[in-house]
Amino acid sequence: MSITSFANPIKQIKSGYLILLLIGVWSILALIFKGVATLEIPTYQNSVATQVAGDAASSIRGNRTKSAIFIYFFNPIRLFINGFVDLIRMFIATPVPGSIIPVLGWLGVIGLVAFLVYLTSNFKTTILASLLLFGCGLLGMWTDTMDTLAMTVAAVFLSLLFGIPLGIWAGLSDRVLRVLTPFLDLAQILPTLVYLAPLALFFLIGQASATIATMVYSIPLSIRITSHAIRSLNHSPVEASISMGSTTNQTLSKVQLPMSKQMIVLGINQTVMAALSFVVIAALIAAPGLGKPIVTALTIRNVGDGFVAGLAVVFLAILLDRSTSAAAKTQLSYVPPSKKVIQKRRISMVLMGIFMAICIWLSRNVLWAAIWPQNLDFSKPVANITNSITDWIVNNLQFFTVGFKDFISNYVLNNLQLLLAGSPWFITVIMLSILAYLIGGIRVTFVAIGLMILIISTGLWYETMVTLTQTIVATILTMIVGLILGIWIGRSQKADKVLRPFLDAGQTLPAFVYLVPMLGLFGPTRFTAIATGIVYSIPIVVKIVGEGIRSVSSSMVEAATSAGSTAWQIITKVQIPAAKRSLLLAVNQGLIFVLAVVVIGGYVGSGALGYLVIVGNSKPELQGKGLVAGLCIVLLGIMIDRIAQAGAKKYGN
Amino acid sequence: MTQKLRGRSAAASLFVALGLLLAACSGSGVDQASTDAAADAPAAECGEWGIAMHAWVGYTASANVVAEVAKKEFGCTINLVQLDEAGVTYDAMEAGSVDVVIEDWGGGRWQEWVDRGAIVEVGPNGQEGLIGMYVPKWMADEYPDITDSANLNKYADLFKNSESGDKGAWHEGPPGYTTIGEKMIAANNLNYKAINTGSEAALMTGFSDAQKNKTAFLGYWYTPQYFNAQVELARINFPANDWADAAQASGLTDYPATPLIKLATKKLMDSGSPFATLISNFNWTNEDQNSVAADIEGGTDAAAAAQKWIDANPDKVSAWLG
Repeated sequence: MSITSFANPIKQIKSGYLILLLIGVWSILALIFKGVATLEIPTYQNSVATQVAGDAASSIRGNRTKSAIFIYFFNPIRLFINGFVDLIRMFIATPVPGSIIPVLGWLGVIGLVAFLVYLTSNFKTTILASLLLFGCGLLGMWTDTMDTLAMTVAAVFLSLLFGIPLGIWAGLSDRVLRVLTPFLDLAQILPTLVYLAPLALFFLIGQASATIATMVYSIPLSIRITSHAIRSLNHSPVEASISMGSTTNQTLSKVQLPMSKQMIVLGINQTVMAALSFVVIAALIAAPGLGKPIVTALTIRNVGDGFVAGLAVVFLAILLDRSTSAAAKTQLSYVPPSKKVIQKRRISMVLMGIFMAICIWLSRNVLWAAIWPQNLDFSKPVANITNSITDWIVNNLQFFTVGFKDFISNYVLNNLQLLLAGSPWFITVIMLSILAYLIGGIRVTFVAIGLMILIISTGLWYETMVTLTQTIVATILTMIVGLILGIWIGRSQKADKVLRPFLDAGQTLPAFVYLVPMLGLFGPTRFTAIATGIVYSIPIVVKIVGEGIRSVSSSMVEAATSAGSTAWQIITKVQIPAAKRSLLLAVNQGLIFVLAVVVIGGYVGSGALGYLVIVGNSKPELQGKGLVAGLCIVLLGIMIDRIAQAGAKKYGN
Repeated sequence: MTQKLRGRSAAASLFVALGLLLAACSGSGVDQASTDAAADAPAAECGEWGIAMHAWVGYTASANVVAEVAKKEFGCTINLVQLDEAGVTYDAMEAGSVDVVIEDWGGGRWQEWVDRGAIVEVGPNGQEGLIGMYVPKWMADEYPDITDSANLNKYADLFKNSESGDKGAWHEGPPGYTTIGEKMIAANNLNYKAINTGSEAALMTGFSDAQKNKTAFLGYWYTPQYFNAQVELARINFPANDWADAAQASGLTDYPATPLIKLATKKLMDSGSPFATLISNFNWTNEDQNSVAADIEGGTDAAAAAQKWIDANPDKVSAWLG
């Protein structure tokens, strides 16, 4: 043990030199063979693979009304989900036929939500939830918020319906978990915009596709957390139950499920948050909700309008997050409540119920409580203030941002792109394979080579390499900023307090909201896409790094302090090495998050794979190319993820 | 724990009881109050239809005028659904999510859907679209010969940026739009590189910044577009296509002028709804559209801007009603 830990740093330094040497050789080769055999094809041209995919897509489209699998499988699913979503929307969002309001007017919804939150958690959260919902109304977004809430509820309900039983099964059986794991991994690195097009091909454009797309993203989370919850149980109660002669079913329902309830509620929390992150993307395929005003705002370049809707998304996210996590905490108390507490709780519950009943009655009988009053709509002032702030920022920072963009583009981006995309493909393949070996070892090298061969055979090698370039640069910049901020919040409670709300909001604010200011700051360039990726992935990286730094034992830090170390020495010599595992995790998550917005980058000038996915959605003759580009993003994601994980394993010990 | 749960289930049953009570008393008070107001509205024989909304403001103008007329004159329920152009929209029409495209530039990409009987080509909407490559006005003033494509190579250096390497940057149109930039560059032997800008917002920002800061920008643009009234642009003239011999015609040297087309679902056109008649008859000019679009861009609510034009042009509107 001591020998390996002594030998490891030497090995690391050695492979560090080797990587530098490799890049040197690669650069020389790239300069000599610049532009030769790059496999670049014009945007309008299809490769063999994309042509095949396009033909397949068009034949699927043609068969939608004829083929049995559509009539008996896809169409019924679509109709069922459509009906389910419509039912929930009719309850809170869209008018009931023959009426001008949904079953519940706005006050009724607030009353109902308040009651439900109180039922599952506490009074403080109830007030917060009501205020947040009220805030969505003040932003003039009541109906859209309700549409989004309805879609989220539908998707989460269906996800849990499948996710929890599968999770329990995977929690009880190792074999099931082994079968499911690769799919769970894949679903989590799959960028959402990528599977939207194929889903729409089968379930058509509309809320059904949007709901299913949301489920693809959120089911894995609920499966994973449920099975983890079952597995991480304390074993003695389970064994006790079995030894007392309980059947498997009894053990599951009386011991395992009650004990893992808290974790499962946490799973619901994660599922809800995942579902909510779909709001805007859903709008791209004509699903109702807050995404609609955001997409519209992008097209008319009105940052303020988009921000107002984005803020409503953030409010809704905080509401759902706080109320579900408060519910999870409530499940924790093992101390039986006293009679008095129960009595008190019962009375307050009845009072809340009466309050809800009054709200609902009002919302169905009084106009101001039914339809959000126009004079309580503050969307215009909020939008105007946002617009003037953004204008000021863009006008005053442009000289700096354009300079920074040019610097990064000319000195970093272009050079890296020359290596990866500008060299002949076989040189890039060889060099990337050696790199994969140096980072992650022999096994992952074979995986990487296999994936690269697949990418080459799609005919989109050049675009994939351009996207890889941008992903790498974005991740490096994200890590620089993320490390600084993460160390800061890890070391200072105060910084954590100040930054945390911004991180929370940044994680839930849809990227589409800040595309226009990004365009103003950087113009339609690859760097704009990179900057979008950075903004999107920084919150998660900062949180992981901060968590890692904070969890470094305080005795180590104190020892170093008393030995007279400076703050800089403590950070570099104690905290960073001790938090290495978290830092590696942060790199991996940063990469995946950056990759997740590659397609969004296509809207602001990234070109390459992201752009092709978008083109494929609207140009029928390039649909195959869009689908295959989506596949390439996935292959690239798997390759990066595998190499990063193998590297983390190698150096993390 | 169990006692607590019992307390909860009591509350839950109260909640369920309330729900049942609500369900029992159907028809809300709000509706009864509003029936009087609704009484003078025309009967809803028109039905509920969806218009696909596309990214450009001119489209928003057309769609809102049609929607307002349909609502006021026929009592239709019209949903405006934001969607990408072409493929996505045609699929949505086939799925029944939307029924009308009021301005399609796609040049026949819809054929596959027409063949399947999902979409009907309703004919031109009276507007003519002209796509092209544009520079901000200040460049045409400073370099008068720049608008002739033959001189573009001479100025390539001006257009170099971080994206284009040692060539000039040619900002290509948004993904769904008809674009032939790469072919035009090849056919005209230009020392330019096509940059996929990704969205119309990106192009607008590019042009307005270029005009404001006197920087160079060459990009895809088109008329009719309200934006042309805000930022003056100059079109580059490329040699026209030689269409005399269809086989020889490259179709690549410049964008031809396009009559803009209305599309509708077969379901709508066969329905006998007055909305179908309105869509068949709808026809207006680039100027009409620009006047509404400029109001929308000026901050007027789209529906209000449409209504303003409707009030000012009763003759044109009544001709659409059939």
